[in-house]
Amino acid sequence: MLIPVKLFVALSLLWAVAALGVQVLAAWGGGREDYSSRAGSSARGIAYSFTVAMTPRHKESVSRHPVKFAVGVVMHIGVMLSLLAAVLLVVWPTAGSAALSHGRPLIATSLVAGLYLLVRRTLSRDLREMSAPDDYIAIVATCGLLVLACVYTGDAGSETVYLIYAGLLFAYLPLGKLRHAVFFFVARANHGRRLGRRGVYPPATVRTA
Amino acid sequence: MPGRDEHAERIAETAREALAKSIRGLAAYHMNACVKCGLCAESCHIYQAEPEPANHPGVKAGKVISHYRRYHTFLGKYFPRLVGARDLTADALDELVDTVYGRCTACGRCGLHCSIGLDVGAIMWAARNVLASVGKVPEGLQRTVDNQLETGNQMAIPQDELESTAEWLSEDLRLEMGDDDVKVPIDARGARVLYLVNPREVKFFPLSLMAAAGVFHAAGESWTMSSKFYDVTNYGFYSGDDPSARELTRRVIDEAEALGVEEIILSECGHGYRAFRWEGPNWIEREYPLPMRSVLELLEEYIEGGRIKVDPEKNTDRVTLHDPCNLVRWGGITEPQRRVLKRVVKDFVEMTPNRKDNYCCGGGGGMLSMSEYGERRVASGRIKADQIRATGAKIVATPCHNCADQLIELSRKYQLGVEIQAVIELVYSALV
Repeated sequence: MLIPVKLFVALSLLWAVAALGVQVLAAWGGGREDYSSRAGSSARGIAYSFTVAMTPRHKESVSRHPVKFAVGVVMHIGVMLSLLAAVLLVVWPTAGSAALSHGRPLIATSLVAGLYLLVRRTLSRDLREMSAPDDYIAIVATCGLLVLACVYTGDAGSETVYLIYAGLLFAYLPLGKLRHAVFFFVARANHGRRLGRRGVYPPATVRTA
Repeated sequence: MPGRDEHAERIAETAREALAKSIRGLAAYHMNACVKCGLCAESCHIYQAEPEPANHPGVKAGKVISHYRRYHTFLGKYFPRLVGARDLTADALDELVDTVYGRCTACGRCGLHCSIGLDVGAIMWAARNVLASVGKVPEGLQRTVDNQLETGNQMAIPQDELESTAEWLSEDLRLEMGDDDVKVPIDARGARVLYLVNPREVKFFPLSLMAAAGVFHAAGESWTMSSKFYDVTNYGFYSGDDPSARELTRRVIDEAEALGVEEIILSECGHGYRAFRWEGPNWIEREYPLPMRSVLELLEEYIEGGRIKVDPEKNTDRVTLHDPCNLVRWGGITEPQRRVLKRVVKDFVEMTPNRKDNYCCGGGGGMLSMSEYGERRVASGRIKADQIRATGAKIVATPCHNCADQLIELSRKYQLGVEIQAVIELVYSALV
């Protein structure tokens, strides 16, 4: 039973990687030549964008909302650990099981964080206004994985359920908002590259509120 | 003759084609990345002034993204309701106008502070490209673009008015500086510098142009203005009309080559700097044949190189600095104006926050030319007014005539009692 399930997970992961790759290429669409003479370094801009620019001092979304941001980070760590565990269960079962059993406290915390985000989205007027069903599905779907990770016992039944769920989640990944897993990096790199070229990133001197 | 429905469908089809073209290699990345976390809300001056969902950067970007999803994502094509994808129809385009032109100055502040790093400005510019492609640019903004295309400047100032202004400014300068050689040169072939100005300087703020002429003279600069294409602004950029923006850029570059100048210097104009310096080469799809700089960089060079002597004791009032979004956050000109001001004024104080984190004054994105959004524009400047008040400054220096207009209005509305000046005016006052 486990071999077909593992094959399903592998194929789902392959599909996710391929579909996301195609989407990034489609978004690139041949790119844009920049004929302006550079004032700074794109590479330094990207590096700054992924480091200093993400610190609370330089990002109001963090400094103004430290708790909400921390909750989001905790949730993402748990989801990433759970997905990594699913991949490990396919290629290195002992490590996968160990990741789930040792990571259970963290994953349980992530689940609480995920539920908080779901409640917040439901209660906030602004978030409701900008949300579509997919935004709720994405949280519920990832929380579902976290639940299964929490109740994972290591027996064949629980492993099968866990892997099938993870496979379905991988299959959904490129379709809805979960594709930000890749586009987060693409968008931040693009923004950093443009601002780096213009000499905005990294700033010569930085003052924030 | 096509029926109404057919006409509406043709407009929508053109818009869809424009959307596909405008998102490539830029906005599309960002449209796929938004997680709708909502943490960007307070980064927006418009939302801060009026905290309703329609002003939330996430909602504004989301409206544009919903159309992207409809035509460029699998679920959007086949299960649109699931992902909030919406048809790009003629009615939807009308709805977008208010969001894209009336509720966002594309200042880019929310993007810098976004938890993801989403360039909301890029999304808004893509939407402006789409709306411009189907003639949905608000009337006042479109009129300004038309003026520029038809007359060479956004205020449709006749050539003889420019020449007479240059003449009386020269006379005033000769009296003030006690030097018969000082003048505002027009179409001087072979000059080193072609100086582009905001037509507002010619029409309403001649002191700014006079100050430039005085400083250039003091520095021994060889410079000229063009009688035909002296406008540093580019309202095609604001409207999202790339073909017009391209034409306006091309004219200036051709004029610079015809006059045989060595360098183009852009006067104090936020969007003008961004449009010419950063977007222009991409519109005309070639590198410029000559260098282009902001006058702020040139002023710094004059002062640091000793080409002009200045005395800060001549400007004793407290001065603060407003950072124009397009010049600083999108243009990278952050420090020259500070170094210059610190040399020419006695009491310089920063606003908080400042530099790339500054708040838009509310007049960006072409807002000043769209009277229908006037009330919202002034209301959205409240946060800037609070910033200014907190500095206790008597003078607000701003290297942008667009911002200057808005700041003058804010000073009146919020009773700030401040004077608005261009940086070059303070440099001129400090000349010894």
